[in-house]
Amino acid sequence: MKKKSFSMLLTVLLAFSLVLSACGGGEKSKEATADPTPAPSNSNEEVSTAPEEPTEITIMLPLNTSETPPDTIKKEVEKLTNTKLTYQFFPADTYEEKLNTSFATGSLPQVTYLKNSTTFVQMKEAIKDGQFWEIGPLLSEFPNLNKLKPEILNNTKVDGKLYSLYIGRPLARQGMIYRKDWADKLGLSAPANVDELFEMAKAFTEQDPDGNGQKDTIGIVDRNELVYGAFKTVSAWFGTPNYWGTKDGKLEPEFTFEGYYDTMDFFKKVRESGYMNQDFAATSKTDAVKMFTSGKAGMYIGGSMQDIDSLHKDLIKNVPEAVLDTHSMVAGPDGNFAQWMIPGYNNIVLFPKSAVKDEAELRKILAFFDKMMTPEVANVMYWGIEGVHYTVVDGKAKPSSEKELIEREVKGYKDSVIGEAETNGMYESYNELPGRIHAEELLLENVKVGVADPTAALDSVTYMEKGVELQQIITDATYQYMYGQIDKAGFEKAVSDWKSRGGDKIIEEFNAAAK
Amino acid sequence: MQEVTVQPGAAPPLRLEKKTRSSELKKRLWRNKWLYVMLLPGVLYFIIFKYLPMYGLIISFQNYKPYQGIFGSEWVGFEHFKRLFTEPEFFNILWNTIVLFALNIFIYFPIPIILALMLNELRGNFFKRIFQTLVYLPHFMSWVIIVSISYVMVTMDGGIINELLSYFGFEKINFLLSNGWLRPMYIIQVIWREAGWGTIIYLAAIAAVDPGLYEAARMDGAGRMRQVWHITLPTIRGVIITLFILKIGHVLDLGFEHVYLLLNSMNRQVGEIIDTYVYTAGLRQGQFSYSTAIGFFKSIIGLIMVMLVNRISKKMGEEGVY
Repeated sequence: MKKKSFSMLLTVLLAFSLVLSACGGGEKSKEATADPTPAPSNSNEEVSTAPEEPTEITIMLPLNTSETPPDTIKKEVEKLTNTKLTYQFFPADTYEEKLNTSFATGSLPQVTYLKNSTTFVQMKEAIKDGQFWEIGPLLSEFPNLNKLKPEILNNTKVDGKLYSLYIGRPLARQGMIYRKDWADKLGLSAPANVDELFEMAKAFTEQDPDGNGQKDTIGIVDRNELVYGAFKTVSAWFGTPNYWGTKDGKLEPEFTFEGYYDTMDFFKKVRESGYMNQDFAATSKTDAVKMFTSGKAGMYIGGSMQDIDSLHKDLIKNVPEAVLDTHSMVAGPDGNFAQWMIPGYNNIVLFPKSAVKDEAELRKILAFFDKMMTPEVANVMYWGIEGVHYTVVDGKAKPSSEKELIEREVKGYKDSVIGEAETNGMYESYNELPGRIHAEELLLENVKVGVADPTAALDSVTYMEKGVELQQIITDATYQYMYGQIDKAGFEKAVSDWKSRGGDKIIEEFNAAAK
Repeated sequence: MQEVTVQPGAAPPLRLEKKTRSSELKKRLWRNKWLYVMLLPGVLYFIIFKYLPMYGLIISFQNYKPYQGIFGSEWVGFEHFKRLFTEPEFFNILWNTIVLFALNIFIYFPIPIILALMLNELRGNFFKRIFQTLVYLPHFMSWVIIVSISYVMVTMDGGIINELLSYFGFEKINFLLSNGWLRPMYIIQVIWREAGWGTIIYLAAIAAVDPGLYEAARMDGAGRMRQVWHITLPTIRGVIITLFILKIGHVLDLGFEHVYLLLNSMNRQVGEIIDTYVYTAGLRQGQFSYSTAIGFFKSIIGLIMVMLVNRISKKMGEEGVY
């Protein structure tokens, strides 16, 4: 009896200690995989003798689809690059949290993708503290990595040193996607200036463009996002600077400029007249897109013009006769064109020192990225497998019609390809939709009148610490103004609130950094 | 059980009595050994998952940097608490939290009780079961679903409620984007999702009421309402109070996800609560220490409230939770 109960207790204890040691053991085994090859084998870098052991690399990255992609693409990439890859996908929606907690527990993998430039700003402090490998000096050893555009690399430098590789994006993709069939029917041409833009919104609402005899359409559909919704794009058309502008030789935030007020007035008027969705401040991207693809709205502004393909695909399911086109050259009140530009990248990759033990290991990882920048590997990761996910037409890649297959198998990897078609040599996309072809032309036009963010490569401690929280004040006030809840004085009060709670310091710090 | 008194200075007897006491204890432990074994997982659970993580609270007194760790980070004392209390928005946020909490207590809390009493009065098991299942169901939908369904119903761009309003000649109401409607929307959604689920414990308590009592009351000519008032409610009073105290303990846990989904620029004035503030100011900017300080503050308020209510309920002659 006694013996039995004792052994029982022992069993319980054992079970618990097993659970505990399993937790502890996890870290050890991870360290082991982090540095798989013994020191001698990676001290010299020749590929000539006997087939080299594949490099084991663990990669953490955000996932923009709902399910983790299968290994199809990964296996192909492993074959081409002689690596053994472990991809850790995490949903993009909660990626910042994942990033912060992994960082806090010291469990970032060897290759860590961030999410966007905002997460990059948050990481800067840790980068300065030396938590990540500086790769600038090594870059010249890799012929393909060396092709990365210096001006964009410059935007990703911290204190003048390079720590990251970038995932390139066209500098200015945004514009409007609109119902060409409606415009043609009502005898309108693409809006040449902001007044015509308003007139188009009005006509799309009031003149029954879908011809069903009911007033059930709206001009513009917008969503709860100032930057990637319609607001920022239209504000650039109104001549507002890109986040920061120069006034009397000093950097000032965009919301102190005339153009910002003009833009708010524009949307206020559009909303009050009923030419846009009334609930736009609470409308999610999904709902906004749905409103457009159901044939209720005429203009979708602010998103990437390259999205026209997917919008078109969904729209013609509901409205088979619909025709879409893209447009971005809308002049401001003074007759000038302007587009805001991103700093040329939409995400970066970092290499944490906690996971990458020494420079030799770093070189091996960089070698993998160097191979990623060859057309063979980049094409597999960006387009998929030829004949399955895409075919080559006129030297360009034409995605297969099985969109779901591409979405499931390729999309997860697509967003992680570093560089851009010009530098990594992958295929440009083959477009059939006239609106998309037009969009590609407009991308080039946009850059000619592009306005860069002057603070892109600058630092401000206060901005890092409180920027997001403070921006909320301005964002709220902007919506409240557009909804008529506050007037100009109320907005100015919010701006002075922003200044007194730390904005003044941000202005000061950016101006000091700019010198 | 005998009391053992120890005389100071009396060495030999002390040793003797100590021995008897410890053997007494041993005996008792041995007699109830299975109870202790059964207790073990629970105790371990609390130690491992509730007590050990508390050491993390240390970082609210530091300028915690993930890469420097708890031991390497700089100590700043009450700096983060100072920042919290001097934040101009702080009292507004606290007030919003308290208002939503009060709505939870005064409007939501009685509803499961009423619903349980009503379910109890239903005759016919078949109908009762169907009805119960139907009111439970919303509990298994996530807040995202509940909020999205509400959005579709009340949006001004073709939502059914606003369409009906305008059909009958009323002004459309901007439910989603107004300070005035956030709280009603919040509490209606809480009731919608949780009220049915909340009845379970009450129904169990009601089922335990001695049917003899009802019979006796009926003999005395008590009607339905009288029976509910004089028999059902008093017998489940203990359960109600226990649940009430537990609810108070979650004074500031209003469901981050739910409120965050309802929040937008037009209703932040009344909708920003402590949890959502922690998210925007703390986690999204990676300010772990500040977020922890706020969470710490929140827990302390919860603890104080529980102790307060527990004491009040004991004063009123009821059993508390401890």
